[in-house]
Amino acid sequence: MAEQDESSMIGYDPLAWLHDSPEAENTKSTAVPESRPAPAGAGGVDEEGDASECEDIAARAVEAAQNVVEPDVPVEWDETEADLTDLALQSAPDQGQSAESSGHIALEPVQSIQTVGELHRRLLDMLDSCNKIDIDASAVSQIDTATLQLLLVLKLTAVKQQKEVSIDFPSEKFMEAADLLGLSEMLSVDRAVAGFF
Amino acid sequence: MTSRIVAVLNQKGGVGKTTTTVNLAHALARMGRKVTVIDFDPQCHLAVALGVVSKQQSGIDEVMLGNADFAGQQIPVRDNLNLIVAGPRLQEIEQLSDSASRRGDLLRKALAQGTGDRDLVLIDCPPSSGILVANALFAAEELLVPMTSDYLALQGLSHLMGTIKKFEAALNKKYRLLIVMSRFIPTRRLSRDVLHTVKKYFPAQILATPIRETASLAECPSFGKTVFEYRPGWRSARDFEALADDFLTGRVM
Repeated sequence: MAEQDESSMIGYDPLAWLHDSPEAENTKSTAVPESRPAPAGAGGVDEEGDASECEDIAARAVEAAQNVVEPDVPVEWDETEADLTDLALQSAPDQGQSAESSGHIALEPVQSIQTVGELHRRLLDMLDSCNKIDIDASAVSQIDTATLQLLLVLKLTAVKQQKEVSIDFPSEKFMEAADLLGLSEMLSVDRAVAGFF
Repeated sequence: MTSRIVAVLNQKGGVGKTTTTVNLAHALARMGRKVTVIDFDPQCHLAVALGVVSKQQSGIDEVMLGNADFAGQQIPVRDNLNLIVAGPRLQEIEQLSDSASRRGDLLRKALAQGTGDRDLVLIDCPPSSGILVANALFAAEELLVPMTSDYLALQGLSHLMGTIKKFEAALNKKYRLLIVMSRFIPTRRLSRDVLHTVKKYFPAQILATPIRETASLAECPSFGKTVFEYRPGWRSARDFEALADDFLTGRVM
């Protein structure tokens, strides 16, 4: 989609995302332009490489996360962990979905292990039905590692399915938590608009 | 009276933000419009380009911090053209302990107090995506985006559009966005291709006159002069005259 015609002096067109989803113009985010073009004929290889690198970082991040914050309430770890790690597997591949569609979800002020199951369910539904998910993180005043882990897995799953996940307007608390766990870059949270809303 | 508040922005450096602000503002002032330019870059290049070199003079910094008002900080620099310098405390805005949303709204609140008889207020933004640019986006209703005709400028424009769209969604407003092709080299094929690409995505949003790359535009800031003073009647002066007319009449490519 981003390739120009052969006679043009411009190879990859970084503005192509502006035309990708005209009906969703108001909710488009910066996540798209930051994506890298795949060299012709090598797209699959690059995606594999990206996904593999993502998984390495994710694994390290999750490990770090588990060492940093402990939930302060008893939780049903088995069920939750199974849900989180199975997210990519449970989500149906995006086959035959031709129409561009986007979904929007706003994170609650307190995102904890107690709410992560519900968030997981909603994100799964959205991942099945949408090509792009915008997550509004502006209201977050408290977020735990389980939620960040869920968002990370969502990002990884989206990459594999060639879908987009954008975390918009992260609050300062969200950024603090993501920075603490070294996940800011991985989650592609945009510092330019962090904490304004 | 309501002023048009225009942010001249592009987080990419070297695209001609300050050159555009200085010379477009002077062109508009010469056409009889009352214009105030705000130097919103702690590097103070706008002030230097207009011949004001004191870095200790307070300016928009104190207006934002609530210690001065807009009218009182204006320095008449040319007929019809006033300047508000950056001021030494502008960088402190980044370090304020207020919440980010409060820090982001300082300029809008300051300008909402009133901009007097000004027809236009042009905000020359810094080449970054930080809190100062957020202030400009909160405050402005119109955006003027200078961009060069090279590939990396396209990448920068893509990133900028992402940021603008986020602000539009969050603030529930739609900016009037205009693009100025600056440092344009008409004989270069890449320039034409970049222009073609930008036109495809921004129909009727590119001002009709591209500002061509010239030595005189690069030279005039060191003399504290606009191009109308440094090389009156030359090609760049004519370009900016035409650009000012485009800006006022809405003439686009």
